[in-house]
Amino acid sequence: MTLEQGDLLPVLLLLPTLTIVVVVMLIPLCYGVYISLFNYDIGGVLNASTFIGFGNYIDLAKDATVWRALYNTVVFSVLATMGDLLIGTVIAVLLHKLRPSVAGPLRAITMMPLLVSPIIVGLIWRYIYDPTSGILYWLLGLLGLGLKQVPGITQSSTALLSVIIAHWWQITPFVILLVTAGLVSIPCELYEAARIDGSSELRTFFKISLPLLMPVYMVILVISGVDTIKVFDIIYALTQGGPANATLSLSIYAYNNAFQMYRMGYAMAISLLTMGVSLILFGIPFIRFNRRGAR
Amino acid sequence: MRKRQKIGKALTWLLLALFLVWTVVPILLVLTNAFKTPLDIKKVPPVIFFKPTLNNFIKAFSVGDFGLYFQNSFVIASITTLISVIGGAMGGYGLALTKNRWGRVVSNLMLLGKLVPAITILIPFYMILNATHLYGGYIGPILAHCSVNLPFVIWLMFGFIQDVPAEVFESSMIDGARRMQTFWCILLPMLLPAIGSAVILSMQYSWNELLYSLQLTTMSSYTLPVGIGKFVGAVSVDWGKSSAAAAVTMVPIIIVSFIMQKYMVAGLTAGAVKG
Repeated sequence: MTLEQGDLLPVLLLLPTLTIVVVVMLIPLCYGVYISLFNYDIGGVLNASTFIGFGNYIDLAKDATVWRALYNTVVFSVLATMGDLLIGTVIAVLLHKLRPSVAGPLRAITMMPLLVSPIIVGLIWRYIYDPTSGILYWLLGLLGLGLKQVPGITQSSTALLSVIIAHWWQITPFVILLVTAGLVSIPCELYEAARIDGSSELRTFFKISLPLLMPVYMVILVISGVDTIKVFDIIYALTQGGPANATLSLSIYAYNNAFQMYRMGYAMAISLLTMGVSLILFGIPFIRFNRRGAR
Repeated sequence: MRKRQKIGKALTWLLLALFLVWTVVPILLVLTNAFKTPLDIKKVPPVIFFKPTLNNFIKAFSVGDFGLYFQNSFVIASITTLISVIGGAMGGYGLALTKNRWGRVVSNLMLLGKLVPAITILIPFYMILNATHLYGGYIGPILAHCSVNLPFVIWLMFGFIQDVPAEVFESSMIDGARRMQTFWCILLPMLLPAIGSAVILSMQYSWNELLYSLQLTTMSSYTLPVGIGKFVGAVSVDWGKSSAAAAVTMVPIIIVSFIMQKYMVAGLTAGAVKG
């Protein structure tokens, strides 16, 4: 089983994947960087006459909508991820206290939103937020509140938060699943010892469970947190970026530029900015995750 | 002390009950809306007892062509899953054969692709497909979905293969088995749980994916999420029709996921509890 010089089998086995990664990721990525240097619309030409160097990137910095989309994307990513982790951890810990025969089926039910296509999540929440037929405004009505106090997706002040709530609904189950796996793997003896020392439940959680769950949180950031930067589907169904760009994400703005206005060069610059944000916000969890793996 | 425990227990159940309601009600809403008349859908609080109608489904399938979209989704998800699982199992074994720390590093590098947003790939990939006249059929979404699934499946498989005791390989090597024989006859049966995980997660991703399919398909190759996207994209939403379409999309994958729940959970939590 040792690898000898010139052993081709591993390479052959990896070939199908490498081919697809090169054809669908590396080549398009390089081509995309190239396009972003041109003032290129669909049907236009890519040559010296349309080459503008970093022109698209300079326009980017001057475009107030880009800044708005950048702000929305980062706020969405941070709040969505934090909420997922917080709600997911609380529910996972509560479920963990129950008997396994009760917790198992409950956990299975809580997983359902994870199986639903994000476009349907958007559709469902659009119905819930509907001012006339939505269940939200009926519930608020019982409390004497209405559209005026809680404008939901109709006003820019609360629209982004409304989208984030829909995201929480879908992704929290994933956190529950992983935190549960983490909790199960913590040796019982640690809890026994804590109980003998007379440590309170809350203290035990913060002193024992939370530190041991850190690797799990890292995995959550790598597998699911990073997806929040690319948010598209939920917004597409729920608000389409409105009202007044309040929920416009970088992905949506790039999409609109590319496939509604056909400004490919500019759209490509926006989408590369999106990738940059993703690298800055989630690169560190990735590096730490890799280091752990390489050990 | 006793009293505090009781309060704690009551609070636990209250929170869990609230969470269950929050989880289940939205799904029940869309499922019941699918069977409601437009008038019933508009009623608040939501009517629990109503005369069910199949009109929404009839509309979704006749006006919306959801029969065709279902077929497209099924073909695209199946082929994607097949390629991802076979290619991923092979790749995972390939990495395991290198047997040094580079295997781990490459398998983790595979996940780096997750840092690249779909939109960044979509724009140039769309242009390449257009230029090569491959645009519009199944090939675009299948390739795109595979590019997301394959690295993940390799990472998953590699993790599972690492858990296989080394003696298993060595004893079969001593017996003179070829390395590919070892793969087919010894490793693959042991990897069945991992393959189950790869199947259900690849299928789920492909079935539910919107952005790539939205731009890489045409009228005749639209997938279910794209069809729904066209319903809700407009200013006003036909709740009945889109709810029926949503039900047709989500019910099959929920059923399959529950059947394969064990594998799905194993796949999703892989890497979280070891390493």
